[in-house]
Amino acid sequence: MRSIDDFTRPLEYISPMDGLLGSIFREWVEKEVIPYRRQFDEDYREHHLIHPPFKKLLGEYGLQRMIFPEDLGGWGMGRSNYMCVAAFRMFEEIARADSGMALAFGALFWPFLFIALEPHENRRLLEEFAPMFCETTEPVFAALCMTEPQGGSDIENVEIVKGTTIQTTAVKDGDEWVINGHKLWPSNTGGLAKLMAVVCTTNPGSDDPRDIAVIFVKDDMPGVTQGPPYEKAGMAADMNSDIWFENVRVPLWYRAIGPGDDAKYFGEVMATGNMGIIAWISGAMMNIYERLSEYTSRKRYRGKPLKEDDGVAGLLADFAANIENIRIVGYQCARMCDRHDLYGPLWHPRLVAKMRAQRYLAMDRFIDVTGRVMNLMEAYGTDRDWDVEKHWRDLKILQLVEGSKQLCQIEVARWFYECETL
Amino acid sequence: MNAMEIIPFPRKRLDKADLDLAATLQALVEKEIMDKRLELKEDYEQLLAPSFARIMSEIGLQKMFWPEEHGGEGHNGPDAAYTVVAALEQIGRADTGLAFLAAHSLALQAALAQEGARREETCAAFASLFCSGDRPVRVSFILPALTEEEGAPEWRGKGFQVVAAPSGNAWKVSGRMVRPTCCGLDADLFGAWCAVADGDPAFILVPGDTPGIARGTELKKTGLAASRNADLERLEATVPDANCAWRGNEGTFRLLSWYYLGVAATASGALLANYEIIREWGDNRVIKGKDHIFKDNPLTAAVMGEVAKDTSVVRLLAYELAGMLSEAGEYGGDGSQALYTMALMLAHQACASAEHAINRTMELMASAGYAKEWQLERYWRDVKAMQCHLGAYELAKHDFARWFYDTVTL
Ligand SMILES: Cc1cc2nc3c(=O)[nH]c(=O)nc-3n(C[C@H](O)[C@H](O)[C@H](O)COP(=O)(O)OP(=O)(O)OC[C@H]3O[C@@H](n4cnc5c(N)ncnc54)[C@H](O)[C@@H]3O)c2cc1C
Repeated sequence: MRSIDDFTRPLEYISPMDGLLGSIFREWVEKEVIPYRRQFDEDYREHHLIHPPFKKLLGEYGLQRMIFPEDLGGWGMGRSNYMCVAAFRMFEEIARADSGMALAFGALFWPFLFIALEPHENRRLLEEFAPMFCETTEPVFAALCMTEPQGGSDIENVEIVKGTTIQTTAVKDGDEWVINGHKLWPSNTGGLAKLMAVVCTTNPGSDDPRDIAVIFVKDDMPGVTQGPPYEKAGMAADMNSDIWFENVRVPLWYRAIGPGDDAKYFGEVMATGNMGIIAWISGAMMNIYERLSEYTSRKRYRGKPLKEDDGVAGLLADFAANIENIRIVGYQCARMCDRHDLYGPLWHPRLVAKMRAQRYLAMDRFIDVTGRVMNLMEAYGTDRDWDVEKHWRDLKILQLVEGSKQLCQIEVARWFYECETL
Repeated sequence: MNAMEIIPFPRKRLDKADLDLAATLQALVEKEIMDKRLELKEDYEQLLAPSFARIMSEIGLQKMFWPEEHGGEGHNGPDAAYTVVAALEQIGRADTGLAFLAAHSLALQAALAQEGARREETCAAFASLFCSGDRPVRVSFILPALTEEEGAPEWRGKGFQVVAAPSGNAWKVSGRMVRPTCCGLDADLFGAWCAVADGDPAFILVPGDTPGIARGTELKKTGLAASRNADLERLEATVPDANCAWRGNEGTFRLLSWYYLGVAATASGALLANYEIIREWGDNRVIKGKDHIFKDNPLTAAVMGEVAKDTSVVRLLAYELAGMLSEAGEYGGDGSQALYTMALMLAHQACASAEHAINRTMELMASAGYAKEWQLERYWRDVKAMQCHLGAYELAKHDFARWFYDTVTL
């Protein structure tokens, strides 16, 4: 019988750990996530059901350590040139069960991209934070706090807006930063995050990228308040909230890299983030394929299984063809993010634009073809029990985070056509 | 100018009573639903059920078609189709699920009480349920679907979910794991399109309190919170002869044509709400740094323009379909396959356009579009759910082909 493993993966360059990682994650989602996921929507506030599988994955299996260097108790993934290809496999496997969990898992590492990757590894900060993540079997979450009430896109749009709209301020006071501001939406907030990387300005209104500062803040520092979790259309396993910083004091060396580089390496979050989104789309589509196969085999039309109708088969083929395509393209993106020697630096606008291009295209296809599949399933397409609607609701947000569709289009056009004012 | 004014509709084809009804409904839903939903969200008991009661029994939509001699309003002439659209788009603007429920009631009324096609006996038996007292009547349909049962009798390729057999002066209606179109958990009246072993299929009304109906638990689903659906795990009901409203396709084509009209009008209402939300966003959001108003950005304005186009087209389509039903003779005749096909086509188009436009609006509102607080995402979920209840588009296309190309074996 055909299965999701019959969809192509580029065997030439999957990570050496791929088989092992794949089987660990596959078993984990089958046992710990899939049996419970239909109740996740109602669990968005408490995470009673969502927390236990995270505890196993992050704490007990130790996945939260993976980006830290080995000598600090981590797995050294930050230094591996298979980081993204390996992450792609993990993301896919999680998203097959629940893309909210996949987003929360991926977002946990966003802050560390600033300090754990070569050539800008910040050893002192890694030493500072590694014990929080590597010396415990409890899950520990981190968050990247970028979006503000006036808009997230403008902050992501570093090249054109250059941080001029950032309202969260970091003011030097002796050997400390004093941070004030209000952020919205970071994944893993709502009380979860123990550590945050906060995108601040050291000079409000300035268009000098050197004034964009990414500064680490611990949740238990005085002046940090995480609000209650938001209620959303889906993605219950990713908890988001308001977060306020009121005269929060952190040492000066809590700044991620330094003037100019914080802004520059923000591009790495964008490149890997967009690559990750393709993996989440691919993973969710695998599961839809599984459910769709079952549905169209069981349900009958004109005396035959639904899948045997030529017209229906056209849509089934479209769905499979899209998975084939998105998956192969996604792996290629991951490889491009890993092989700086071949494709240039990870932070570079060229790579960011390429990742954005593939991601927004994949997302558009997901929306189109999954919408059609839901409709093929008639009333059952809207049933929680058939899982397709959950993926449809959950994934919509992946068109909007890490650069909305329009921002993606603008950045792609800007790069490929050398536009100067977009 | 508000959305109702700026999005075009054939005002001249509506009479004063339609415009008054629309204005009354608009005021009611704004006060009773839209003003309260930030706090009450999609609460069925506190928000949706009481609103449905007011719309159907207090405003009187559930009395609309029934003949006056049976206590109804007797508004069942050719122009009633316009009234249906004017009313449902107002309700759909506030809550898609409520309008979807109301569409079921109005379609049934039309199929039973429409001038020139009245089912006297059934009207006499059922009008009082709708016209006396102040209880809202929730109507649900049981239509052929993709079943798992091998050898089930079929209607246009899909399996009948229910079979019926005459038994003296009664009908025995039976089915298992039946999926109704809406409100299976608490429907007061099911209209079931049933296979009959030795003849034409029959449309039979089964009151919700008939012994022999075992309802399952409430289904968790994408949207349409106003419609608490459940499978009928077992249906073994016996109902009087008069409950058989009609036999043969004509009545069902008529019923479905009106149902599809309701769906198109509901989609139009959802789009009007969507337009209002994105309009406010476009006026106030600033992007690309300072002083760049959202609606003035060429890329986002283009998407907003497309949303306005879809909203206008769907609104005009819904009213055009009303026009077709009110002049059925021009379009193949009342209860004809031709009109049924047109109605199905336009309803699919309305839902697809609504899905597309709301989906794109969510792109423009990013996280706000995805957060429940901003009220947009509920239309996205609801419209998608409604579209799924129309049946598979892949299979509906066969219906279109059957009519337009005289297919032989399709
Ligand atoms: C589930 C979820 C998880 C999230 N996780 C995080 C997180 O971990 N950290 C974090 O900081 N934020 C997070 N966010 C917020 C997310 O990053 C923002 O939603 C995103 O940046 C868009 O910002 P916004 O919602 O404020 O919309 P806006 O910035 O107001 O953008 C709205 C729309 O404006 C248009 N637009 C914006 N700029 C341009 C332009 N230059 N040209 C053309 N059109 C444009 C686009 O259509 C866009 O969709 C998350 C959001 C969600 C829903």
